[in-house]
Amino acid sequence: MLDVRIRVAAALVGLLATLTSCTSTSTNAIEITSAMVTSVSSSSQETPRYSKVIALANGSAEIIDSMGFKDILVGRDIASTDESLKSVPIVSTGHQLVAEKIIALQPELVIIDESVGPIDAIETIRSTGIKVELINEVWSVGEISTKVGAIAELIGTPLAGQLLADQVQLTISESAKAVSGSPRIAFLYLRGGNSIYLLGGKGSGADSLITALGGVDVGAAISDTPFSAFSSESFANEDPEILLVMSKGLESVGGVDGLITLPGVAQTRAGKNRAVIAVDDSLLLSFGPRTPNLLAELADAIGRVKR
Amino acid sequence: MMALKSKRVLLPAIFLLLFSFSLFALSVGSAEIESPWRHIFSPSLTGPAHDVIWQIRFPRVLAALLVGAALGVAGALSQSATNNPLADPSIIGTSAGASLGATIAVLLNIAEIGTLPTTIAAVIGALLATLLTFASSRSALQLVIVGIATSALLSALVGLILTVANRPDARSISFWSLGSLALVTSKSIYLLAPVILITSAIAWFISQKLDLLALGDREVRFLGLNPQRMRLFAFILIAILIATAVSTVGSIAFLALAAPHITRFLIGPRNRPLIIGSAVIGAALLLFADTAARTVAPPFELPIGLITSLIGAPILILLLRRSGEVWR
Repeated sequence: MLDVRIRVAAALVGLLATLTSCTSTSTNAIEITSAMVTSVSSSSQETPRYSKVIALANGSAEIIDSMGFKDILVGRDIASTDESLKSVPIVSTGHQLVAEKIIALQPELVIIDESVGPIDAIETIRSTGIKVELINEVWSVGEISTKVGAIAELIGTPLAGQLLADQVQLTISESAKAVSGSPRIAFLYLRGGNSIYLLGGKGSGADSLITALGGVDVGAAISDTPFSAFSSESFANEDPEILLVMSKGLESVGGVDGLITLPGVAQTRAGKNRAVIAVDDSLLLSFGPRTPNLLAELADAIGRVKR
Repeated sequence: MMALKSKRVLLPAIFLLLFSFSLFALSVGSAEIESPWRHIFSPSLTGPAHDVIWQIRFPRVLAALLVGAALGVAGALSQSATNNPLADPSIIGTSAGASLGATIAVLLNIAEIGTLPTTIAAVIGALLATLLTFASSRSALQLVIVGIATSALLSALVGLILTVANRPDARSISFWSLGSLALVTSKSIYLLAPVILITSAIAWFISQKLDLLALGDREVRFLGLNPQRMRLFAFILIAILIATAVSTVGSIAFLALAAPHITRFLIGPRNRPLIIGSAVIGAALLLFADTAARTVAPPFELPIGLITSLIGAPILILLLRRSGEVWR
């Protein structure tokens, strides 16, 4: 009935991660710039309910693309940076949608989550008769399948959604607990060397990635807020072995050399060993079809940085 | 007679208090340290506790003292040079000019954030902005209004440039408005200490002449002095102090305005003692505020600007109320 060909060679993920050289090493700092998309290609009888969709919820454009329905996308958010989506116009700046761009594209459906605003612009779009649907934000590895299901339900392709969700779960399980020795990892949100850095805590998203791999998120253990201005001496006391940062954030403090001289960071094992992993800003917390392979990349990076 | 005597011992007393409080500030923080005094009085010990006190707390305490002093001196200088008690460097455009200068230098790849060239660019920006404000205003009242306009204009330019340029390494600049001493290292001290100490010493040296400006420009000219040149010199010093402070720890609210007023109430309006007093009061206020910022809600940091306002504003209001001048 269904002629579905599953494209992701899940078994080869581990091998590919090293072969595709998505990562580069420079004196102990490892940068992850991209991760393979987990996708299903379907030539099913399933036809999406809409032909013009704008996907602004975090990761939603990538999910629709991964189910094989890229041709219904007429607009995406700025964080959906996967190569294959390049031709789809960006209709939001950060978390702010641009109402006139969206109305001009005449979509039938706009998918948003709680982080998308402003409310007035959403109301304006609704008032022109465009359907705006809200899905839940997802900040953990375990909930990606739920998000895939919700989006598939919205566009009327539940079977493709189920296939993708299964594939996502499968790929995630391959890298689950892939790192040994429960390394203590801290996620830092950096924004320039003159300002304070924020420590990712419970619910930052990074906590889910770290624990899925079998690491210990230093921030989540001590802070219940997703991001907090943490004092440098307390951070030094926590003494993480590995620092996880976003690429642009790392650049903003002057790279690894700048990062490891920051007070508090300089005194940690991670700082002394230059054990830093940087992940592309829009990839790290996307919680979409790139996340399963990001986990594999991260596991690999953690293994290398610990050496 | 009694009053005069008490004023004479006041400054040394504050000095002593400041020193003791600095030691206290070294001993407290969000990290639990057993017997911190042992580490403070024998700096040759090693270990994590030693690192926390000497690598994290010590530079930060020093920076608070230096930057606080710089802001106090800059505030005192700008008030006397413009004959205007409202002339705060952040009101007359100096701080905004410093940000713009640094932004341009970083984006043109002339300087890297956190280095001496950025500070020099910030000094040039600060000086030009201050001069622009001063040259465009015709009276003491206008100075404040023009200054607010200049600040708004330059801050808007900084915002615009940063939005368009979208460079991660320039992100620091957009956070300068939320000053913080959290990322100060001993490297920052090597820049702060010589610049601030030398500039403040020069300020003290010229401060006696600045007393004359209170007489009015005509009278100063009768004495054979050039009032505008005196002001220009003061503006250069203000620009150096503010730009150095802003480019290392960001802008810190209210101190430059409050410190000289508090000092004037305590020891009178003469510029020489005023400069020293403002430096000491500024240093004390900032050290106190920063120590509070890092110890009130451990392990989290509070924004320092909020605390300087929270502490400085009530003190200022209370002192002015007690000074006995009546609303007319």
